[in-house]
Amino acid sequence: MKRVQLEIVLGTIFVLLSAAIIIILGIREPQRLADYVLQQRARQIEFGASVFQTNCTACHGSGAQGITGIAPSLRDEHFFTQRLSEIGWGSTLEDYIVSVVTTGRQVSTRPQYVGGGSPAMPTWSEKFGGPLRDDQIRAVAAYLMNFEPYALGLLPTPVPIGPVVDESTPEGRGQALFTQAGCIACHTLTGISTATVGPALDGLAGRAASTVSGLTAEEYIHQSIVDPNAYVVTGYTPDVMPQNFAEILTEDQINDLVAFLIDRTQ
Amino acid sequence: MTFINNILKRLNYTPLPPRGEWKEFIFKIIDERVRIITAGLNLRELRSIMRGDPPTEKPNPRYKVITTSFVAHLRPRYYPQAATWFTHTFRLGFFVTFFFVVETITGIILMAYYVPFPDQAYGSILAIESNVFFGELFRDIHRLGAEAMVAFSWLHLLRTYFTGSYKGPRSFTWLTGVILLAITAWLSFTGYLLPWDQLSYWAVTVGTSITESGPVVGPTLNLIMRGAPDIGMGGLLRFYLQHVILFPLLAILFISIHYYKVSREHSISLPAVVEELELPPDKKKEYNRRIDLIPDLLSHEIFLIALGTFVMLAILYFRWFHSPLETHANPQSTPLDTKAPWYFWWLQGILKIDPANIIENMVNPILTPLLGLFGIEFTLELSKLLDSKFVMGLIVPPVLVAILAFLPYIDKNPSRLSSKRPFAIVWGISWIFIMLALSYMGLPEYGIETPAATRVIQDLAPEEGEGPLREIPYAELTQAHGVYTVGEDYGRDLCPDIVYQPDHDKPDDIVIGCPQLTAVFNQFSERLQIAEADGRLPDLEARIIVEQVQPGMVRVTPQVDWNDPETGEAKSYEHTYFLHENRVLGSH
Repeated sequence: MKRVQLEIVLGTIFVLLSAAIIIILGIREPQRLADYVLQQRARQIEFGASVFQTNCTACHGSGAQGITGIAPSLRDEHFFTQRLSEIGWGSTLEDYIVSVVTTGRQVSTRPQYVGGGSPAMPTWSEKFGGPLRDDQIRAVAAYLMNFEPYALGLLPTPVPIGPVVDESTPEGRGQALFTQAGCIACHTLTGISTATVGPALDGLAGRAASTVSGLTAEEYIHQSIVDPNAYVVTGYTPDVMPQNFAEILTEDQINDLVAFLIDRTQ
Repeated sequence: MTFINNILKRLNYTPLPPRGEWKEFIFKIIDERVRIITAGLNLRELRSIMRGDPPTEKPNPRYKVITTSFVAHLRPRYYPQAATWFTHTFRLGFFVTFFFVVETITGIILMAYYVPFPDQAYGSILAIESNVFFGELFRDIHRLGAEAMVAFSWLHLLRTYFTGSYKGPRSFTWLTGVILLAITAWLSFTGYLLPWDQLSYWAVTVGTSITESGPVVGPTLNLIMRGAPDIGMGGLLRFYLQHVILFPLLAILFISIHYYKVSREHSISLPAVVEELELPPDKKKEYNRRIDLIPDLLSHEIFLIALGTFVMLAILYFRWFHSPLETHANPQSTPLDTKAPWYFWWLQGILKIDPANIIENMVNPILTPLLGLFGIEFTLELSKLLDSKFVMGLIVPPVLVAILAFLPYIDKNPSRLSSKRPFAIVWGISWIFIMLALSYMGLPEYGIETPAATRVIQDLAPEEGEGPLREIPYAELTQAHGVYTVGEDYGRDLCPDIVYQPDHDKPDDIVIGCPQLTAVFNQFSERLQIAEADGRLPDLEARIIVEQVQPGMVRVTPQVDWNDPETGEAKSYEHTYFLHENRVLGSH
């Protein structure tokens, strides 16, 4: 066979094989596109979860379960079934989440939640001076929407594994409470939280004993939790910190928190 | 009949032929049209071309095409037989052109869907992949073609170097070739930014930051390239316009110059053995026999096109190549490992060399004690005078490119035979190794120290891409809820009680336990314990936490606590990974 003849035979085979590949890919293409959309949604939910973890857990809790007195749960039945009609929103819940996250809230719509102070919820979109891009906000909404089967009770909610702390000591229990009770929403404590609504707690143990005469460090911190207005640090306004910690927490829990704060800030 | 013919005559049309002459009449009309369209070939000639017969007329009408047709005038009339040896050219230049055409076609299709604005660019890539029929295929072909084009350009350059084809009259052709290499690399690099993901954003940020170190005009140049102090809307648009207009036009211009010199002025070089050695007359005659463009070169090129198309499609069909897409570009978060495209690793490698530091280390141990003998205290502090980024980023690479471009004017050895240019051959081979070594140095693994705990977790689950942790099947993780502590003895498997089916379509295929999670945990433990043993992570406490956080989604958190070896301060590092069950579907 001459070289040119071989090339004609091989070339024809290559063209036919290429056509076959394109046809096979074409037959598979609708399925691939459908899979890709699902996969894209999955990755969006994953991404939203990590954005939520970095930005939203301080007020809305580590699993979006809300923090008493600060911010509502975003995964309960009320949120998925009642919230839209309560607020009078015409579009979907996902769009509602996007809208609220984008523009924030100047004032809380519900008196039982004070939010992070003023504004109650900051604007999160970078268009309005916040830190998040549109695709990040969309991803957060996708993540929250994925709670629906738990919220409606279609699937049992698994028990979360909290931060690994030694629960056998008062300090360990106090550390867990520091997150769960929402202290991290407003107070900075190096290594745990970075919020700036309330005074930073770093070095608290050193100055607590001398802040209010007549009170020991433990007594002062205890009083600040149960009756925040008794002494307000200069530069901060009264009535911002929730007044009801004595009702939410037991006496033992408050003592654990005090022990943790003393231990941690020495 | 006569009536119709009278009308036709009035209108200046050819009259219809009498009965029985219709066949010739129609043949003549078609033949004339074909001759005009093909610029010189009539039907009989075309038939003889198809059959592989010799030309039917004299002078050869196949050569006439090349003088009269615009498209064909770019082509040679013939090449000497020896110049078409496969082992002489490997068809590398042809394939570079082939890829350029492939890039143009797929590029225009992609342009219909791509939006060059930072807040929509990434989304438009996702839409191409998820919402455009064959969108992923077009993107993959475009990316594969781009990388192949760079690779084949380099190979073409090496071939030309080792066959000595840049010498003599072809020196200017070589210069345009080096310019084309630079254009190709820049086309590829400007395309790199367009997906607007972390990979592209940081590769281009690091790349353009090199110009910043330039004297006087450096910062301005950087500003012009980026459109703003940081790459944003202006920068993306500038890169896009370079990618789709400026550099394609430059490429077409220089390809034309480069190719015209080859095809019409100097021909492809003959192999040096044919050109320079004394050969028997019959061989010499055979080697110089004309291989005509029509039909021999053309049919070979059509074959090569079929081959190239098939190989590209086969590579994509078997998923040996897939164009990467990382997470959305985030100017606030620098990835741990920024990586330039592979054809710029050598540049990244060069940037890691600090010449001032090397010279100081060589000179100071001798100079300082020597001057000390004379009572002079002196240490050479070159790094204060020489900015290493400036020297290695803006001086060395352009000098290297300049040496490459002006090689024919530097290498004055007239012979092209390998045996008569041993120095050039050794020099060329050494440069291949130098470039490979520099490329290796350009990898993020080389010369960059990452804290132990970060490195271990990063290797299990890189910030971008998959990695062993993310490849653990969801079916395994969703049942493996728990805390797994390093140092504890879990036996052979972390969760021996679970059973799952890795593939829904194969009900007989069952996995017991969680082998992949166990493997990841073991790797995590081993590497951390090594770091603990050699003192990098004293008082190590580490664990991997697996929790179900949502329907269809688990959270995996590797945590490491240790005391800083120097200060004794308690330190910890953790990273959370959310893994959704649909994250890998179908063929992805």
